[in-house]
Amino acid sequence: MSQALDDREIAPGAGPALKRLIAAQLAAFPEHEGFLRRRFAAGADDFCESLATTIETIAGEDLARLCEDYRWLAGAVLEEELFFRREGRYRLSSFAEAEALVYADPAYMTRYMNGLLLSQLWWSNHTAVLAWFRDRYLPGNGTQARHLEIGPGHGLFLLLAEQDGRTESCVGWDISPASLALVEKTFAALRRPAPSLLLSNLFEAQLGRFDSIAFSEVLEHLEAPAEALARVHDLLAPGGRAFINAPVNSPAPDHITLFETPEAIVDLVLAAGLEIEDVLLAPAAGASLDRARKLKLAISTVVIARRPL
Amino acid sequence: MSQIQPELEDILRTLFDEYEGPITGALTAAEVEQWDSLANVQLVVLAERTFGVRFSTAEIAGLANLGALADLIRAKQG
Ligand SMILES: C[S@@+](CC[C@H](N)C(=O)[O-])C[C@H]1O[C@@H](n2cnc3c(N)ncnc32)[C@H](O)[C@@H]1O
Repeated sequence: MSQALDDREIAPGAGPALKRLIAAQLAAFPEHEGFLRRRFAAGADDFCESLATTIETIAGEDLARLCEDYRWLAGAVLEEELFFRREGRYRLSSFAEAEALVYADPAYMTRYMNGLLLSQLWWSNHTAVLAWFRDRYLPGNGTQARHLEIGPGHGLFLLLAEQDGRTESCVGWDISPASLALVEKTFAALRRPAPSLLLSNLFEAQLGRFDSIAFSEVLEHLEAPAEALARVHDLLAPGGRAFINAPVNSPAPDHITLFETPEAIVDLVLAAGLEIEDVLLAPAAGASLDRARKLKLAISTVVIARRPL
Repeated sequence: MSQIQPELEDILRTLFDEYEGPITGALTAAEVEQWDSLANVQLVVLAERTFGVRFSTAEIAGLANLGALADLIRAKQG
Protein backbone atom coordinates (compact mmCIF):
# COMPACT_ATOMS: atom_id res chain seq x y z
CA MET A 1 0.00 0.00 0.00
CA SER A 2 2.73 2.44 0.95
CA GLN A 3 4.72 1.89 -2.28
CA ALA A 4 1.95 3.52 -4.25
CA LEU A 5 2.13 6.67 -2.13
CA ASP A 6 3.44 9.98 -3.29
CA ASP A 7 5.09 11.66 -0.29
CA ARG A 8 4.86 15.11 -1.81
CA GLU A 9 1.14 14.83 -1.81
CA ILE A 10 1.09 13.92 1.84
CA ALA A 11 3.27 16.83 2.92
CA PRO A 12 3.51 19.57 0.30
CA GLY A 13 6.85 21.33 0.59
CA ALA A 14 8.43 18.52 2.60
CA GLY A 15 12.21 18.33 2.54
CA PRO A 16 14.14 15.07 2.04
CA ALA A 17 14.37 14.09 5.73
CA LEU A 18 10.64 14.55 6.30
CA LYS A 19 9.86 12.57 3.16
CA ARG A 20 12.04 9.69 4.33
CA LEU A 21 10.44 9.76 7.77
CA ILE A 22 6.93 9.74 6.34
CA ALA A 23 7.84 6.79 4.11
CA ALA A 24 9.30 4.88 7.08
CA GLN A 25 6.25 5.65 9.23
CA LEU A 26 3.79 4.54 6.57
CA ALA A 27 5.74 1.34 5.96
CA ALA A 28 5.17 0.50 9.64
CA PHE A 29 1.68 2.01 9.90
CA PRO A 30 -0.04 2.29 6.51
CA GLU A 31 -3.41 3.00 8.17
CA HIS A 32 -1.96 6.32 9.32
CA GLU A 33 -1.87 7.76 5.83
CA GLY A 34 -5.09 9.75 6.15
CA PHE A 35 -3.98 11.20 9.48
CA LEU A 36 -0.58 12.28 8.13
CA ARG A 37 -2.12 13.69 4.98
CA ARG A 38 -4.36 15.87 7.10
CA ARG A 39 -1.51 16.73 9.46
CA PHE A 40 0.55 18.17 6.61
CA ALA A 41 -2.29 19.43 4.40
CA ALA A 42 -1.23 23.04 4.95
CA GLY A 43 2.35 22.17 4.01
CA ALA A 44 5.51 21.42 5.93
CA ASP A 45 7.73 24.28 7.08
CA ASP A 46 11.46 24.54 7.80
CA PHE A 47 10.96 23.61 11.43
CA CYS A 48 9.40 20.28 10.36
CA GLU A 49 12.41 19.53 8.17
CA SER A 50 14.91 20.38 10.90
CA LEU A 51 12.93 18.29 13.38
CA ALA A 52 12.78 15.39 10.90
CA THR A 53 16.55 15.62 10.42
CA THR A 54 17.12 15.54 14.18
CA ILE A 55 14.76 12.63 14.73
CA GLU A 56 16.34 10.71 11.87
CA THR A 57 19.78 11.27 13.38
CA ILE A 58 18.62 10.13 16.82
CA ALA A 59 16.92 7.06 15.34
CA GLY A 60 19.90 6.02 13.23
CA GLU A 61 19.62 2.34 12.34
CA ASP A 62 16.58 1.97 14.57
CA LEU A 63 14.18 4.10 12.54
CA ALA A 64 11.91 1.20 11.58
CA ARG A 65 11.62 0.12 15.20
CA LEU A 66 10.87 3.67 16.34
CA CYS A 67 8.09 3.81 13.76
CA GLU A 68 6.70 0.56 15.18
CA ASP A 69 6.91 2.08 18.64
CA TYR A 70 4.91 5.08 17.44
CA ARG A 71 2.29 2.75 16.05
CA TRP A 72 2.13 0.98 19.40
CA LEU A 73 1.77 4.33 21.22
CA ALA A 74 -1.07 5.38 18.93
CA GLY A 75 -2.88 2.13 19.83
CA ALA A 76 -2.24 2.58 23.55
CA VAL A 77 -3.57 6.14 23.43
CA LEU A 78 -6.66 4.94 21.57
CA GLU A 79 -7.46 2.46 24.34
CA GLU A 80 -7.11 5.19 26.94
CA GLU A 81 -9.29 7.48 24.82
CA LEU A 82 -12.08 4.90 24.89
CA PHE A 83 -11.89 4.66 28.67
CA PHE A 84 -11.70 8.44 29.03
CA ARG A 85 -14.68 9.17 26.78
CA ARG A 86 -16.80 6.58 28.58
CA GLU A 87 -15.83 7.37 32.15
CA GLY A 88 -14.90 11.06 32.00
CA ARG A 89 -11.65 10.41 33.85
CA TYR A 90 -8.18 8.95 33.31
CA ARG A 91 -7.78 5.26 34.09
CA LEU A 92 -4.97 5.56 36.63
CA SER A 93 -5.22 7.75 39.69
CA SER A 94 -2.04 7.07 41.63
CA PHE A 95 1.57 7.87 40.84
CA ALA A 96 2.63 4.51 42.29
CA GLU A 97 0.54 2.68 39.65
CA ALA A 98 2.04 4.75 36.83
CA GLU A 99 5.53 4.24 38.15
CA ALA A 100 5.13 0.47 38.38
CA LEU A 101 3.43 0.16 34.99
CA VAL A 102 5.51 2.64 33.01
CA TYR A 103 8.53 4.47 34.47
CA ALA A 104 10.05 1.44 36.21
CA ASP A 105 9.69 -0.85 33.18
CA PRO A 106 12.57 -0.06 30.80
CA ALA A 107 11.11 -1.94 27.82
CA TYR A 108 7.72 -0.24 28.14
CA MET A 109 9.24 3.16 28.81
CA THR A 110 11.64 2.99 25.88
CA ARG A 111 8.85 2.07 23.50
CA TYR A 112 6.71 4.86 24.92
CA MET A 113 9.41 7.54 24.65
CA ASN A 114 10.38 6.41 21.13
CA GLY A 115 6.75 6.79 20.11
CA LEU A 116 6.59 10.16 21.81
CA LEU A 117 9.70 11.25 19.92
CA LEU A 118 7.94 10.69 16.60
CA SER A 119 4.76 12.31 17.89
CA GLN A 120 6.75 15.57 18.09
CA LEU A 121 6.49 15.61 14.31
CA TRP A 122 3.26 13.74 13.63
CA TRP A 123 1.05 15.54 16.16
CA SER A 124 0.69 19.15 15.16
CA ASN A 125 0.16 20.35 18.72
CA HIS A 126 3.42 18.71 19.80
CA THR A 127 5.27 20.34 16.91
CA ALA A 128 3.75 23.73 17.75
CA VAL A 129 4.85 23.42 21.40
CA LEU A 130 8.39 22.41 20.47
CA ALA A 131 8.69 25.27 17.95
CA TRP A 132 7.41 27.71 20.56
CA PHE A 133 10.00 26.40 23.02
CA ARG A 134 12.79 27.09 20.54
CA ASP A 135 11.54 30.33 19.01
CA ARG A 136 9.58 32.01 21.79
CA TYR A 137 10.80 30.64 25.13
CA LEU A 138 14.56 30.13 24.77
CA PRO A 139 15.29 33.55 23.24
CA GLY A 140 13.79 35.13 26.39
CA ASN A 141 16.46 33.54 28.59
CA GLY A 142 19.42 35.68 29.56
CA THR A 143 22.90 34.64 28.52
CA GLN A 144 24.65 32.03 30.68
CA ALA A 145 21.35 30.47 31.64
CA ARG A 146 21.47 27.51 34.00
CA HIS A 147 18.81 25.27 32.50
CA LEU A 148 17.01 22.31 34.11
CA GLU A 149 14.50 19.98 32.52
CA ILE A 150 12.30 17.93 34.81
CA GLY A 151 11.20 14.77 32.98
CA PRO A 152 13.14 15.12 29.70
CA GLY A 153 11.89 11.71 28.45
CA HIS A 154 13.19 11.39 24.86
CA GLY A 155 15.47 14.41 25.35
CA LEU A 156 14.36 16.61 22.45
CA PHE A 157 13.52 19.69 24.54
CA LEU A 158 16.76 19.39 26.48
CA LEU A 159 18.67 19.10 23.21
CA LEU A 160 17.11 22.31 21.86
CA ALA A 161 17.98 24.07 25.11
CA GLU A 162 21.57 22.86 24.91
CA GLN A 163 21.85 23.97 21.28
CA ASP A 164 20.68 27.47 22.18
CA GLY A 165 23.63 29.82 22.56
CA ARG A 166 22.27 31.37 25.75
CA THR A 167 22.38 28.14 27.72
CA GLU A 168 25.42 27.81 29.95
CA SER A 169 24.63 24.49 31.66
CA CYS A 170 22.11 21.78 31.03
CA VAL A 171 20.67 19.50 33.72
CA GLY A 172 18.01 16.79 33.45
CA TRP A 173 16.13 15.03 36.25
CA ASP A 174 13.97 12.04 35.51
CA ILE A 175 12.47 9.25 37.56
CA SER A 176 12.93 6.71 34.78
CA PRO A 177 16.33 5.09 34.04
CA ALA A 178 15.12 4.34 30.50
CA SER A 179 14.42 8.04 29.89
CA LEU A 180 17.88 9.05 31.07
CA ALA A 181 19.42 6.46 28.75
CA LEU A 182 17.41 7.93 25.85
CA VAL A 183 18.51 11.46 26.69
CA GLU A 184 22.12 10.26 26.57
CA LYS A 185 21.47 8.55 23.24
CA THR A 186 19.89 11.72 21.82
CA PHE A 187 22.85 13.91 22.79
CA ALA A 188 25.41 11.35 21.60
CA ALA A 189 23.67 10.97 18.23
CA LEU A 190 23.81 14.73 17.69
CA ARG A 191 27.39 14.87 19.03
CA ARG A 192 26.48 17.38 21.70
CA PRO A 193 28.18 17.53 25.10
CA ALA A 194 26.30 15.29 27.53
CA PRO A 195 24.01 17.11 29.97
CA SER A 196 24.27 16.44 33.66
CA LEU A 197 21.62 13.83 34.44
CA LEU A 198 20.12 12.72 37.74
CA LEU A 199 17.84 9.77 38.37
CA SER A 200 15.39 11.28 40.79
CA ASN A 201 11.81 12.11 41.60
CA LEU A 202 11.41 15.87 41.29
CA PHE A 203 10.14 16.00 44.85
CA GLU A 204 13.26 14.29 46.17
CA ALA A 205 16.04 15.94 44.17
CA GLN A 206 17.99 18.51 46.14
CA LEU A 207 16.97 22.08 45.62
CA GLY A 208 19.20 23.98 43.25
CA ARG A 209 19.05 27.35 41.55
CA PHE A 210 18.12 27.56 37.89
CA ASP A 211 17.47 30.45 35.53
CA SER A 212 15.34 28.31 33.25
CA ILE A 213 13.22 25.20 33.84
CA ALA A 214 11.41 23.10 31.24
CA PHE A 215 8.54 21.11 32.70
CA SER A 216 6.79 19.58 29.72
CA GLU A 217 4.13 16.87 29.85
CA VAL A 218 4.91 15.93 33.43
CA LEU A 219 2.28 17.83 35.46
CA GLU A 220 -0.54 15.53 34.33
CA HIS A 221 1.54 12.55 35.50
CA LEU A 222 1.52 13.70 39.11
CA GLU A 223 -0.86 13.28 42.03
CA ALA A 224 0.09 16.66 43.45
CA PRO A 225 0.53 19.14 40.58
CA ALA A 226 0.22 22.18 42.85
CA GLU A 227 3.12 20.98 44.99
CA ALA A 228 5.15 20.26 41.85
CA LEU A 229 4.67 23.84 40.66
CA ALA A 230 5.64 25.14 44.09
CA ARG A 231 8.79 23.08 43.66
CA VAL A 232 9.43 24.65 40.24
CA HIS A 233 9.01 28.06 41.87
CA ASP A 234 11.54 27.22 44.59
CA LEU A 235 14.05 25.82 42.09
CA LEU A 236 14.02 29.05 40.06
CA ALA A 237 16.33 31.91 40.84
CA PRO A 238 14.39 35.17 41.33
CA GLY A 239 13.54 36.41 37.81
CA GLY A 240 14.06 32.89 36.42
CA ARG A 241 11.66 31.51 33.82
CA ALA A 242 9.80 28.24 33.38
CA PHE A 243 8.25 26.57 30.33
CA ILE A 244 5.28 24.64 31.70
CA ASN A 245 3.41 22.44 29.24
CA ALA A 246 0.49 20.18 30.12
CA PRO A 247 -2.40 18.85 28.05
CA VAL A 248 -6.11 19.21 28.68
CA ASN A 249 -8.41 16.19 28.08
CA SER A 250 -5.58 14.01 26.86
CA PRO A 251 -5.64 10.41 28.12
CA ALA A 252 -2.46 8.30 28.05
CA PRO A 253 -1.35 5.16 29.92
CA ASP A 254 0.40 7.15 32.67
CA HIS A 255 -1.76 10.29 32.93
CA ILE A 256 -3.26 10.76 36.36
CA THR A 257 -4.44 14.33 36.79
CA LEU A 258 -7.17 15.47 34.42
CA PHE A 259 -7.19 19.16 33.53
CA GLU A 260 -10.49 19.93 31.86
CA THR A 261 -9.68 23.46 30.70
CA PRO A 262 -6.51 25.41 29.88
CA GLU A 263 -7.56 27.90 32.56
CA ALA A 264 -7.23 25.19 35.23
CA ILE A 265 -3.53 24.91 34.34
CA VAL A 266 -2.94 28.67 34.17
CA ASP A 267 -4.63 29.11 37.58
CA LEU A 268 -2.41 26.45 39.11
CA VAL A 269 0.70 28.24 37.83
CA LEU A 270 -0.52 31.54 39.33
CA ALA A 271 -1.35 29.83 42.63
CA ALA A 272 2.29 28.68 42.84
CA GLY A 273 3.35 32.32 43.05
CA LEU A 274 4.63 32.52 39.48
CA GLU A 275 3.90 35.36 37.06
CA ILE A 276 2.61 34.63 33.57
CA GLU A 277 4.70 35.90 30.68
CA ASP A 278 2.81 34.23 27.82
CA VAL A 279 0.41 31.37 27.07
CA LEU A 280 0.10 29.11 24.02
CA LEU A 281 -2.98 26.96 23.44
CA ALA A 282 -2.46 24.31 20.76
CA PRO A 283 -5.45 22.01 20.13
CA ALA A 284 -4.67 18.50 18.90
CA ALA A 285 -5.14 17.35 15.30
CA GLY A 286 -5.51 20.87 13.94
CA ALA A 287 -8.91 21.53 15.56
CA SER A 288 -9.87 25.15 16.21
CA LEU A 289 -9.79 26.23 19.83
CA ASP A 290 -13.57 26.71 19.90
CA ARG A 291 -14.16 23.24 18.58
CA ALA A 292 -11.60 21.70 20.93
CA ARG A 293 -13.32 23.34 23.90
CA LYS A 294 -16.79 22.35 22.75
CA LEU A 295 -15.91 18.70 22.07
CA LYS A 296 -13.46 18.43 24.99
CA LEU A 297 -10.58 17.57 22.69
CA ALA A 298 -6.96 17.61 23.81
CA ILE A 299 -5.33 21.06 24.00
CA SER A 300 -1.64 21.48 24.73
CA THR A 301 -1.45 24.34 27.19
CA VAL A 302 1.90 26.04 27.59
CA VAL A 303 2.61 28.72 30.14
CA ILE A 304 5.82 30.70 30.16
CA ALA A 305 6.08 31.70 33.80
CA ARG A 306 8.52 33.78 35.79
CA ARG A 307 9.51 33.78 39.43
CA PRO A 308 9.05 37.36 40.66
CA LEU A 309 12.26 39.21 41.53
CA MET B 1 -31.37 2.70 9.75
CA SER B 2 -34.84 4.20 10.36
CA GLN B 3 -35.04 5.97 13.79
CA ILE B 4 -31.39 5.51 14.52
CA GLN B 5 -30.30 7.35 11.38
CA PRO B 6 -31.35 10.93 12.32
CA GLU B 7 -29.62 10.77 15.70
CA LEU B 8 -26.47 9.26 14.22
CA GLU B 9 -26.53 11.97 11.59
CA ASP B 10 -26.65 14.63 14.33
CA ILE B 11 -23.63 13.08 16.02
CA LEU B 12 -21.71 12.94 12.76
CA ARG B 13 -22.50 16.52 11.81
CA THR B 14 -21.29 17.69 15.23
CA LEU B 15 -18.08 15.70 15.14
CA PHE B 16 -17.24 16.17 11.48
CA ASP B 17 -18.23 19.77 10.86
CA GLU B 18 -16.08 20.07 7.72
CA TYR B 19 -17.93 17.26 5.93
CA GLU B 20 -20.76 18.47 3.76
CA GLY B 21 -21.62 15.34 1.77
CA PRO B 22 -24.57 13.04 2.26
CA ILE B 23 -24.77 10.79 5.30
CA THR B 24 -25.91 7.30 4.32
CA GLY B 25 -25.38 3.81 5.67
CA ALA B 26 -22.60 3.34 3.12
CA LEU B 27 -20.51 6.19 4.53
CA THR B 28 -17.01 5.13 5.67
CA ALA B 29 -14.29 6.89 7.63
CA ALA B 30 -12.16 7.09 4.48
CA GLU B 31 -14.67 9.52 2.96
CA VAL B 32 -14.62 11.94 5.89
CA GLU B 33 -11.32 13.69 6.52
CA GLN B 34 -11.92 14.40 10.20
CA TRP B 35 -12.97 10.79 10.90
CA ASP B 36 -9.65 9.49 12.22
CA SER B 37 -9.24 6.78 14.83
CA LEU B 38 -9.52 9.13 17.81
CA ALA B 39 -12.65 10.75 16.38
CA ASN B 40 -14.00 7.24 15.79
CA VAL B 41 -13.75 6.59 19.52
CA GLN B 42 -15.64 9.82 20.19
CA LEU B 43 -18.30 8.81 17.68
CA VAL B 44 -18.73 5.36 19.16
CA VAL B 45 -18.97 6.62 22.74
CA LEU B 46 -21.48 9.32 21.78
CA ALA B 47 -23.51 6.59 20.07
CA GLU B 48 -23.27 4.42 23.19
CA ARG B 49 -24.63 7.28 25.30
CA THR B 50 -27.33 8.30 22.90
CA PHE B 51 -28.68 4.79 22.38
CA GLY B 52 -27.91 3.29 25.80
CA VAL B 53 -25.74 0.47 24.44
CA ARG B 54 -22.17 -0.71 24.93
CA PHE B 55 -19.81 -2.03 22.25
CA SER B 56 -16.88 -4.39 22.70
CA THR B 57 -13.47 -3.42 21.37
CA ALA B 58 -13.75 -6.10 18.68
CA GLU B 59 -17.10 -4.73 17.57
CA ILE B 60 -15.68 -1.22 17.32
CA ALA B 61 -12.67 -2.42 15.33
CA GLY B 62 -14.86 -4.44 12.97
CA LEU B 63 -17.26 -1.66 11.93
CA ALA B 64 -17.19 -1.31 8.16
CA ASN B 65 -19.39 1.74 7.70
CA LEU B 66 -22.09 3.84 9.32
CA GLY B 67 -24.79 1.33 8.39
CA ALA B 68 -22.91 -1.38 10.28
CA LEU B 69 -22.90 0.85 13.35
CA ALA B 70 -26.65 1.42 13.03
CA ASP B 71 -27.25 -2.33 12.61
CA LEU B 72 -25.20 -3.08 15.69
CA ILE B 73 -27.12 -0.52 17.73
CA ARG B 74 -30.42 -1.98 16.55
CA ALA B 75 -29.27 -5.52 17.41
CA LYS B 76 -28.20 -4.43 20.89
CA GLN B 77 -31.40 -2.57 21.56
CA GLY B 78 -33.22 -5.82 20.75
C1 LIG C 1 5.58 12.21 28.87
S1 LIG C 1 7.29 12.31 29.26
C2 LIG C 1 7.67 13.95 28.75
C3 LIG C 1 8.88 14.05 27.84
C4 LIG C 1 9.17 15.46 27.30
N1 LIG C 1 9.44 16.38 28.38
C5 LIG C 1 8.04 15.96 26.43
O1 LIG C 1 7.39 16.95 26.79
O2 LIG C 1 7.75 15.35 25.38
C6 LIG C 1 7.26 12.40 31.02
C7 LIG C 1 8.63 12.21 31.66
O3 LIG C 1 8.55 12.64 33.01
C8 LIG C 1 9.16 11.67 33.84
N2 LIG C 1 8.56 11.80 35.19
C9 LIG C 1 7.30 11.45 35.55
N3 LIG C 1 7.10 11.72 36.85
C10 LIG C 1 8.26 12.25 37.34
C11 LIG C 1 8.67 12.71 38.62
N4 LIG C 1 7.84 12.69 39.67
N5 LIG C 1 9.94 13.18 38.75
C12 LIG C 1 10.79 13.20 37.70
N6 LIG C 1 10.44 12.78 36.46
C13 LIG C 1 9.21 12.30 36.28
C14 LIG C 1 8.90 10.36 33.13
O4 LIG C 1 9.81 9.36 33.52
C15 LIG C 1 9.07 10.77 31.67
O5 LIG C 1 10.40 10.66 31.25
